[in-house]
Amino acid sequence: MKCSLCEREAASGLCQYHEAAKAKVELAYPSWVNAYGRMEWKDYLDNVKRNVQTGQWAKEIAEFLKGD
Amino acid sequence: MARKAFGGVSDTNRGYTLVICEKPEAARRVSDALSRGTTRAEQVDGIAVFKFSRSGEEFVVCAAQGHLYGVSDPSDERAVYPVFDVEWYSTDLLNEDSAYAARRISTVRKLAAGASRFVNACDFDVEGETIGYNLLRYACGGKEKEALRAKFSTLTEEDLVKAFEDMKPQQGLGLARAGRARHAIDFVWGVNLSRALSQSALGSGHRFRTVSIGRVQGPTLGFLVQREQEIREFVPIPYWKPSGVFESQGRKFAAGYVDERIETKRSAEMVREECLGKEAVAIAVRRNSVQVGPPVPFNIGDLQKEAYRVFGYTPSRTLQIAERLYLGALISYPRTGSQKLPPSINYKEILQGIGRIREYSLYADEVMKTGPMPVQGGKSDPAHPAIHPTGEKPKRALDAPEAAVFDLIIRRFLAGFGPSARRELADVSLAVEDHAFRLSGGRTVFSGWMRYYGRYVGYKDVDIPPVSEGDRFRVVDVLVEEKFDQRPTRYNQSSLLEKMEKEGIGTKATRADIIATLVGRGYVSGGSMEITDLGLSVVEVMARYAPAIITTSLTREIEQKLEAVEREGAGEAVLLRETVRSVTNQLAELSTNEESVGRGIDTALMGTAAKQFVLGKCPVCKTGDLRIIRSRATKKRFVGCSNYSSGCRASAPLPQRGTIKTTPRPCEHCSWPVIYVMGGRRPWRLCVNPACPGKKP
Repeated sequence: MKCSLCEREAASGLCQYHEAAKAKVELAYPSWVNAYGRMEWKDYLDNVKRNVQTGQWAKEIAEFLKGD
Repeated sequence: MARKAFGGVSDTNRGYTLVICEKPEAARRVSDALSRGTTRAEQVDGIAVFKFSRSGEEFVVCAAQGHLYGVSDPSDERAVYPVFDVEWYSTDLLNEDSAYAARRISTVRKLAAGASRFVNACDFDVEGETIGYNLLRYACGGKEKEALRAKFSTLTEEDLVKAFEDMKPQQGLGLARAGRARHAIDFVWGVNLSRALSQSALGSGHRFRTVSIGRVQGPTLGFLVQREQEIREFVPIPYWKPSGVFESQGRKFAAGYVDERIETKRSAEMVREECLGKEAVAIAVRRNSVQVGPPVPFNIGDLQKEAYRVFGYTPSRTLQIAERLYLGALISYPRTGSQKLPPSINYKEILQGIGRIREYSLYADEVMKTGPMPVQGGKSDPAHPAIHPTGEKPKRALDAPEAAVFDLIIRRFLAGFGPSARRELADVSLAVEDHAFRLSGGRTVFSGWMRYYGRYVGYKDVDIPPVSEGDRFRVVDVLVEEKFDQRPTRYNQSSLLEKMEKEGIGTKATRADIIATLVGRGYVSGGSMEITDLGLSVVEVMARYAPAIITTSLTREIEQKLEAVEREGAGEAVLLRETVRSVTNQLAELSTNEESVGRGIDTALMGTAAKQFVLGKCPVCKTGDLRIIRSRATKKRFVGCSNYSSGCRASAPLPQRGTIKTTPRPCEHCSWPVIYVMGGRRPWRLCVNPACPGKKP
């Protein structure tokens, strides 16, 4: 099975790298909510995707999760 | 006074003394120094050799050209592994580019036939010892144990004469044994694992391509991949950093909030709200003076890091430049781990020599007057002192990089003799009710050694206004800046070299080459050191099936055992047996999972190949990719759209020479891809659209 976001092998939808990036994106959400007081999940994903510091795999995951 | 004979007197009835140097330039310098200008240069089968007499003895000096022997397996079949039967061959049999080796070996063999005494005068370190040992053993008929050893750290006349007066037999056999063991171990390690990977990819349907991994390459690639993963999966967290603008008697200045990081926007805004319109009081003013000692002398790693910092030179480039300066007798032997300058190098003479170069004369004179005693670093190397100038002036015009590195080495040497500099640091704490701000600065008040080090000094002056405790200021404004965590930075060639040093993998002589190999293999891009898909996949496969290959512990353990062989001159056979056992275990894992390994590597190879050919999106049809295509009829390359079969006729000619590198950003004028053409003196940036409006008519 191929990763939904790249050509790598995936056990369940995402390869190990995108799976790790997904965990990081999900883990950071509460910190963003706390930082701004409130933030919707989709707005958060938009912000993560646009941020220049966000890594390539995390950006791809943000885009992917936004489409869910 | 009669001249002292070199290493005793040879039996002159039987023949001459044959001296073997590591490089032709070194051979010429050795001959000139020992003969005091009476050398006769001759050609033997087209190879320059140097002859002279000294105290009634005849000397013939010849040179290797780096390693003339290397290890390989007798079968030399790239599909065959495991291979544990390792033998030494002349390098012309191993590498088409080394045809010169056969001629050099033949010359040494001819010269050895008439020699009664042999001298190994190669660079005194593991590689030099191995080069000399192999020539004495294979080309001179087993003279490696009886040969005398001339040890020197510079190619100046004084050092060379002394080295030949003091030469003794059996001085570097431990180094040679360790060197030969290192070559054999690295070969067994690299050839077997690389062949296993390459064959796995071939079995998976990809055309043959060498996929290499080595004993030091593996962990080094592992560092890069680990960092790349951290970067690519990084998610920044926001935070806020307030700073205040304060004013007193018409003078304004800024100070940062004492907490570097405020986690919530609301808290940061409250700082602003609670400070605006209030008064700040200087509650503490701390001023202190600190001594800043001179930097320690350069070993090769320090020089490489500093040349990267100040000139942007890669470690391998710095090493090449330093070797040229050494061969020109301008600096001491650069492949040293030492940060110490012993008095035996003769500080006074070097300083007198430096003093004859106009731009350093003032500094050299100053140092001489104070009674020179340089600072010493903590690291030592039994073979050579820290890198230092010899005091000789260049006899030819140095090119710009050579002049830059030479200047850096001279200034570092001078700085080591300088007095400590003194800097005054100031730290002011301001209170605005419950909020605290801080202002820090510093300036050099006595430059000491910094004068000698000149433009390479890393300290900058940051002035702060004169403030005393109790002074009051108006809060003009409080700025609240939204910030985000910075993702980790990629290694550059210098920081990667530092990491290898810290982890104890590779040697001072090999680290720069290993980094260059990773770039050459396409595992990382050269400039940014960004890992490629291929590099990522190689590490992924290794981590799954042969993890020891990318961890540092095994490689470090072997390095430590090789160092023990160097010291004790024994133990290499046991080490080689251990290597065979370890490699056998790794191969078994790779072999069991050959299909999965092949698939992983194959996918990466396909992706890499595709990326090399795709230049970017087609600006004409907007859906296809512009690719490099080679015409079957003319064999010329050009750009064409992948939607050609659907009717898109976007195409453009390409330069026929040079390597093409893609760039991520399309042309700002026409949106066609921009490429770099490499191959000339400088890369050439080109928009591939021949009708680009940005091009001058």
